[in-house]
Amino acid sequence: MTTKALGALITAMGVLAGGLSAQAQGPVRIGASLSLTGTYAKLGKNQHEGYKLCEKDLNAKGGLLGRKVQLVVYDDQSTPATAVRLYEKLITEDGVDGVMGPYSSPVTEASVNVTEKYKKVMVAPLAATTSIFKRPPDKKRHYVFMVISPAEAYLEGLIDMAAKRGFKTVAVVNEDTLFSKAAAAGAAEIAKKKGMHVVYAEAYPKGNTDFSALLTKVKSLNPDVIAAATYFDDAVALTRQMRELDVNPRMYGVTVGGDLPEFYDTLKTNAEYVYGATQWEHVLPYPGNTEFFEAYAKEFGHEPSYHSAAGYAGCLIYAEAVKRAGSLDADRVREQLLKLEMRTVFGDYKVDGDGFQVAHRMVTFQWQEGRKLVVWPDEVVQAKPRIPTPPWNQR
Amino acid sequence: MTRRRAALAALAAVVAVLAAYPAFASGYGVRATLQVFMWIVLASSWNLISGLTGYVSFGHVAFFGAGAYAGAILVAKAGWPWLPAALAGGVAAVLLALVIGYPCLRLRGPYFAIAMLGLNEVLRALVSYFEGLTGGGNGLSLPTLDATIPIYYAMGASAAMVTLVTHAIITSRFGLRLMTIREDEVAAEAMGIDTGRHKLYAFLLSAAGPGIAGALTARDQGYIEPISVFPLATTITMIVMVLFGGKGTVWGPVLGAVVLFVAQEVVWTRYPYVHPLLFGAIIVAVVLLMPRGVLGILQIRYRLPRTI
Amino acid sequence: MNVHITPTMLGQVVISGILSGALYAMVALGLALIFGVMRIINVAHGPLLMLGAYTTYFLYSALGINPYLTVPVSMLVLFVVGVLLERTLVFRVVDAPELSSLLLTFGISIALVNLAQLLFTSDLRAVEYLTGSWVVGPFALSKSRLVAFVFAGALTGLAFLFLGWTKLGKAIRATSQSREVAMVCGINVQRIHLITFGLAAALAAAGGALIAVIVAIQPEMGQIWTFKSFLVIVLGGAGNYPGALLGGVLLGLIEQVASLFLTTQLSEVVAYVLLVVILLVQPTGLLGGRQT
Repeated sequence: MTTKALGALITAMGVLAGGLSAQAQGPVRIGASLSLTGTYAKLGKNQHEGYKLCEKDLNAKGGLLGRKVQLVVYDDQSTPATAVRLYEKLITEDGVDGVMGPYSSPVTEASVNVTEKYKKVMVAPLAATTSIFKRPPDKKRHYVFMVISPAEAYLEGLIDMAAKRGFKTVAVVNEDTLFSKAAAAGAAEIAKKKGMHVVYAEAYPKGNTDFSALLTKVKSLNPDVIAAATYFDDAVALTRQMRELDVNPRMYGVTVGGDLPEFYDTLKTNAEYVYGATQWEHVLPYPGNTEFFEAYAKEFGHEPSYHSAAGYAGCLIYAEAVKRAGSLDADRVREQLLKLEMRTVFGDYKVDGDGFQVAHRMVTFQWQEGRKLVVWPDEVVQAKPRIPTPPWNQR
Repeated sequence: MTRRRAALAALAAVVAVLAAYPAFASGYGVRATLQVFMWIVLASSWNLISGLTGYVSFGHVAFFGAGAYAGAILVAKAGWPWLPAALAGGVAAVLLALVIGYPCLRLRGPYFAIAMLGLNEVLRALVSYFEGLTGGGNGLSLPTLDATIPIYYAMGASAAMVTLVTHAIITSRFGLRLMTIREDEVAAEAMGIDTGRHKLYAFLLSAAGPGIAGALTARDQGYIEPISVFPLATTITMIVMVLFGGKGTVWGPVLGAVVLFVAQEVVWTRYPYVHPLLFGAIIVAVVLLMPRGVLGILQIRYRLPRTI
Repeated sequence: MNVHITPTMLGQVVISGILSGALYAMVALGLALIFGVMRIINVAHGPLLMLGAYTTYFLYSALGINPYLTVPVSMLVLFVVGVLLERTLVFRVVDAPELSSLLLTFGISIALVNLAQLLFTSDLRAVEYLTGSWVVGPFALSKSRLVAFVFAGALTGLAFLFLGWTKLGKAIRATSQSREVAMVCGINVQRIHLITFGLAAALAAAGGALIAVIVAIQPEMGQIWTFKSFLVIVLGGAGNYPGALLGGVLLGLIEQVASLFLTTQLSEVVAYVLLVVILLVQPTGLLGGRQT
């Protein structure tokens, strides 16, 4: 009991000290743990650059609440355990004023336990798994907000186009990780709803590069559509082996990886006709999108991916909510984030009562003559989808 | 004798400070110390089998992962409180050690190391496959529970326990027999030591700690997935800690765990892109420059007792 | 969800299994050589393969050299890297307990992977040279995998000719049978170790070069190959060189056939369970290796 009382006293002193330093008008410090090394290094780096550009832009416009904005970033090596410790460090040692989300669903899933404990608002721009936000009533989380569309929506465009075209059968394959499993489950769900028949489903382990047996099985069923919930390496390997084993679905789509320029650089013409889903494209008619694309390319020497844009937009969304709340207080910022409806370079933001994203739309594109053209949904299409995909021997 | 008394007094003071620490530490301080305790449990446990008998368990994280999943499943699916679930994690790891130890400990040298590595991979793949129970690649998310401070004490008690057990073994005839096996197994057999039984006992003891630590970590973290609880890197880290401190000693693993963890937290977070490179360099340096570890060097230079 | 498995499908995966098996065999032969001669399990074998793959990638993308012509260059480059590693670090742990060599090579492995990440970034790279397949009856033969099979077969054959017929090769085999006897016969054992390590790195590099044409490469690609090589030499018998051939093809077949009848995920389990079972029943591998 005395320990608790002492703890409370110390917390109170901490709050007091925090209040004092705020009056001292130092910078607003925003902390994040990111996957700068390890499995997610490449994508985590893009997110980091998105945050950095947001920091720069905010400061160019006078900062936040009249104070400069300063990022504090650590590397969690793509592991949830390290991220948990780093968020605890950011909050209790470094005393950051706010936090932003890490990269990937598993890391976010673990880190949120810490930010909730300290009642810190976390805008998590790269967590796409529903279970982080939609939880049983007794396990609810209050301060975490979603920016991108859920994993389950990734293959919606592909299935929707296929169903409209009258295709009947679909094979769903996925990497066995949190995000890909959810994307595959979502695809199967949508397919069933639209009256299609899921003829095959298989998960393969992370890091798998030989799909001969899996594709042999898929080929024997000759499905109209192959929907693959991939991460990146596997998207490339799967596509190459489909050609080698002459697997000819009428439509074939992947999730993550297919949107990166490297996908086409790597596969060249074999990437033609492949559908991919993305959270964001620089050609989409969102306010400031072109300027963001150019500024980013200039700043970092390469094109942004959707991870960059989501990081950038997530940070702006948090800043907007802070501005409207007129304070960094978690409950007031939370209230604003729940009410906020905002259109950023990344598209629409609006969440339901759980902090679950409901406004942002995914787009589906198709590689056509080396260009990634948006073919779904109708509001933003750049080109007509080329259906069906011709067999490999007729290309 | 006075030296011994002074050492005991210092030890008591350290324990007292650590026991009082959560009352005035920041949340991060508690969690970081909790991690140090965890690494002490892991490193000391590895030392029990590999440091004493010379059998290199290259997949020791398997027991950590097994404990983590056993504990997490009991919490998530059966609603167990965390403390009994942690003990159950230890029991699960010991049972696993019993099943695999009996056959595998007959393998010598590098074959044992590779078999342990393989077992860890089997376990990881099986956990991914039985997704009804384990959540598969989705991982297992536990109900939110703020129990970091009680878990701190539980992990601290586990670390103390493993260290005490190591001390008891090293100062016992049992420990001497284990080290005889390390030096020359054939000779040990010739002397009438039941090597199979001795190795198995050491193996079972070495599994209990990681099992408990795994279950406690799972509960504290609130979320586990196969990739993050069965990594080869964790096995390597515990080995390097033991090697750095001094293998086959009581306090070497403790020293290694504290020094390497603190180094990681203090130095490596500052150099996000190059720290893995540094880690590789440290491993190479420890193996080449100080194979006996810090305590091993001190033992020779200052004629410290073998049982330190 | 049930797939009816026809003989054609089985034939197709058996072909795939044999094609990748030859590659496994060649890469694992390098690991077996080091183990046989130096009694070291080289955990850095996979990262050496990765460096070989990058050598080919850069020669192909920067200079436009036919990737298959870069195979000898990659081998040469990695031979030198291997020799340097042996000369500076690895030779120090040759007679140390296996823990030292396991850890030392693991340290080298981490350092190589992260150096590659810093220098080459984690971006995925690919040599898009020979894609598609030749169709023979009902079977599709992947062009790049078939060429890799031929190369791997030829290089493995050359390695065996070298070991069996040249003076140096005989000296290597003699050293792996008994270092003491080899020394008495006037063989410079240090030099043999150096050449063996270089040769093993070159075999890994050849594997990397061929793999770069088959799948996209990245700095972390190596570890899976280290593991596969472990499996191969345990299946075939560590230190037994023809055993690596058998083990390689066997692993390729097991992976593919298990993936066909079960799932890709379970095929991993099958391979490792088999590893443990074989270790327990016949610790010296199917063809019998050397006791330590």
